[in-house]
Amino acid sequence: MNRRALINWSMAAATAAVLAAALPSAAAADALYNVKKAGVLKVGTETEFAPFDFIDKGKHVGLNVDLFDEIGKELGVKIEWVTLPWDGVLPGLESGKFDIVAGPATITKKRLERYKFSPPIAEATIALLKKKGDTSIMKPEDISGKPTGSGKATAQLAQLQEFVKKLPKQGDVKEYVGFNEAYADLAAGRIAAVGNSLPNIAYVAQTSHTFEVVLPTFGVKTYFGFPENADADHVALNNAVAAAMAAIKADGRMGKLQKKWFGVEFDTPAEVKDPAI
Amino acid sequence: MNLLAYLSGEDGRNILSGLLNTCLLWAVGSGLGTIFGFLIAVARRYGPRPLDYLLQAGVEVIRGTPFLVQIYLLYFGGPYLCLSLGEASACLTLDPLEAGILGLSVYGAAYYSELFRAGFDAIPRGHIEAATTVGLNRWQTLTRIILPEMTMLVLPSMVNMTILMLKETAVLSIISVKELKFQVDIIGNRDYAFVESFTILALVYWALVEVCGVLGRAAERRLSRYRFAHS
Amino acid sequence: MSWELFWLLVEASGLTILYSAISIAIGFLLASGICAAMLSAHRGAATAGRLFVSFFRGTPLLIQLLLVYYLLPKIGLNVSSEIAAILALSLCTAAYQAEILRGGFQSVPKGLIEAADMCGLSAFSTFRRIRLPVAVRLTLPALTSEAIMLLKSSSLISVVGVVELTTMAKDLASSTYQPLPIFAAAGLVYLIINLVVAGFGRLAERAAKRGHA
Repeated sequence: MNRRALINWSMAAATAAVLAAALPSAAAADALYNVKKAGVLKVGTETEFAPFDFIDKGKHVGLNVDLFDEIGKELGVKIEWVTLPWDGVLPGLESGKFDIVAGPATITKKRLERYKFSPPIAEATIALLKKKGDTSIMKPEDISGKPTGSGKATAQLAQLQEFVKKLPKQGDVKEYVGFNEAYADLAAGRIAAVGNSLPNIAYVAQTSHTFEVVLPTFGVKTYFGFPENADADHVALNNAVAAAMAAIKADGRMGKLQKKWFGVEFDTPAEVKDPAI
Repeated sequence: MNLLAYLSGEDGRNILSGLLNTCLLWAVGSGLGTIFGFLIAVARRYGPRPLDYLLQAGVEVIRGTPFLVQIYLLYFGGPYLCLSLGEASACLTLDPLEAGILGLSVYGAAYYSELFRAGFDAIPRGHIEAATTVGLNRWQTLTRIILPEMTMLVLPSMVNMTILMLKETAVLSIISVKELKFQVDIIGNRDYAFVESFTILALVYWALVEVCGVLGRAAERRLSRYRFAHS
Repeated sequence: MSWELFWLLVEASGLTILYSAISIAIGFLLASGICAAMLSAHRGAATAGRLFVSFFRGTPLLIQLLLVYYLLPKIGLNVSSEIAAILALSLCTAAYQAEILRGGFQSVPKGLIEAADMCGLSAFSTFRRIRLPVAVRLTLPALTSEAIMLLKSSSLISVVGVVELTTMAKDLASSTYQPLPIFAAAGLVYLIINLVVAGFGRLAERAAKRGHA
C-alpha cells in the first residue's frame, strides 16, 4: 500500500510509475530470507535523538546501537547502519533502502495504521525539563501560566497541551521542529520548561549540567518502538526481530542497556497492540 | 494517497495560514532585501573607500555563511547579547516572526547588493558619457539610463535570487515560524504521511515559483526596449 | 568547544567541498546545453529547456534528492547515496545556472554581434570569441553567487545519507547540548570556504575584464 503511494508520488514520476508497475518485484524470497542470505540487517536512523542514537566524538552510539548489536547476534547477522535526517528515514524504509528503522517513535494509533512497530523498548511517558535551579517549578502543575514547549507533531506535544489545558492558568505551548531547538529556547529563557519523554530528558539533564528534570511524569503511559514495514514481505522479518527482542528482554540484557543509557529500567509490555493515544 | 483529506478541514486551514505566512515573509524579505541591497550597492560605488570595505566585509560574511546558521545565532544567541546602558539594559530577544523578517532581509540584501554591483559595472561607459553629452544631469542619468539598463541586465538573476529567498523561508521553521513547511511537516510527523506532505510542499512551492517566473518574464518584456541595441 | 569537535567539522567540510565542486562543474556543462536550448529557434527545444528550469528551480532541493534517491531504483537504476547526491545537486544548480547564462547572452550588445558579422566571423567564431566571453563576463558575479549558494544548499544531501558539514554540526549540537558555539564554528568553516570561492570569482572577473575593451 505504502509502496504504491510512493510510486504515485509526483507527476514527474508518472513515467517511472508505469515502468515500475510493469516490472515484476523481486518478491520470490521475502525480506527475512534476503537479510539472512546477505548476512546483513540494514537499519535506518537519525542521529539527533540522544540517548537512543547520537554522535559522540564522531561516532554513532546510543542505546539503539547496543541493542541492535544484540539483535544482530540473535539473528546471526551483521548490522549495517544508514543514518539520515528524520525526514528521509521513513521514506527510506518504504522504498526498501533498509529493513527496519531504529527511530524510535512513540507508538500511536495513527502511526500503527501505516507501520508495524517492534516490541516497545522504553516508556515514552512525558515529564518536564527546566533550567537548573529554577525553584518556581517543583512539580508539573507549577507550569500553570508559564510558557512551555515541545517538538511539533510529537505524541509528547499532544500530552503537554492536554495537561496545560487542565491547569488553572494556561501558558503558551510553543512548538519546535526538533527538541534540540526547544532546549535551546529553554536555555535562552523564552520558555520555562520543555515537555518530552522521560528517557530523553533524563539523559539531557545528566549530560548538559544546565537543565533539571521535574518529576513525576504525567499524562497517559506511552511506549517507544521501532517502526517496521507492514507489508506481507516483512512479516517473517518483523517476527524474527520481535523474537530476538523477547530473548534480550527475558535474560536481563535489555534492563542492563536501559540502566546504562537512561539510568533507570523500564517495565515494558511484550507488544503494544492498542496504544492509549 | 489521501492528499485531498489533508487539504480540507483543520489541516487545510493550517496549511493555508502557513502559505500566507510564507508569502508574507517572502514578499517583505525580498522587498526589504532589494531596497537595502540597492542602497548597499550605491553606497559601495559612490561612497567613501572605507565604507566600501566595511560593507564588502559584511556582505561576504552574510553570503558566506548558511542562512540556517545566521537565523540560529540571531534567534537563540540573541538573548545572550545584552546591552547595559547604565540603569537600562536590553537583550536582543526577538519573537520568531521578527527574527525571521530581520534575518531574511539582511540575507537578501547581501545577495541583491552583489547583483546590483554587477549591474552597475556592466553598463557601457559610453552610455553614461553620451547621457552627459546630451545634457542629462546626474539624477537624470541615474533614473533614465543607469537604472533601466541595469534592471534589464540583472532581472534574470534577481528572479533567481527571489526564488532562492522563497526556499530560504522554509529554513525559518527551525525557529518555530509557522510558515508553509512548518505546517505541512506536522502532517508528516504526526501521521507519518511523509509522501503526502512532500507532494504538497513540492506542488505549492512550484506554483509560487511559477508565479514569480511569469512576473519576471513580463517585467523583462516591458523592459526589453532598454536592451543595449546600439552600443 | 574543543579542537577535537572543530576538527570533526573541518573533516566533514571535505565532503561539502567535494560534492559541491563536482556538482557545480557538471551543472555548468548541463546549464550551457539547457541555455542553448532555451535560446534556440527550435520551439520544442526551447519548451523543454524552460520546463527543466521550471521544475528544478521550482521544487525544493530536498524533494529532488528524495525523488532521485527513491524513485530511480523503481525503474531499475540503483543509485548509491553518492551518485544520488551529485545527480540531484547538478540538476538543481544547472537550472539556476542556465537562467543566469540566458540573462547574460540576451544582454550581449547586438552591435557587437553585428560588427563580428561584418568582419566576416563565422557563426561559431562569433559565439566562441564574442558572445560567450561577453556573456560569461556579464554573469560571473551571479555565477559565483550561485556556486556559493550551492555550497550552502549541499547541506541537504544528508537526506540521502551523506554526512556533510551542517549535518555534522547538528549531530554535535544535539549530543553536546552546546548548539551556539558549534553552529558558530560551522558558520566560520563555511565562511572560509566561501571566501576562497568569492576570491576565485573576483580573480576570474578581473581576468575577464582585461579581455574587454
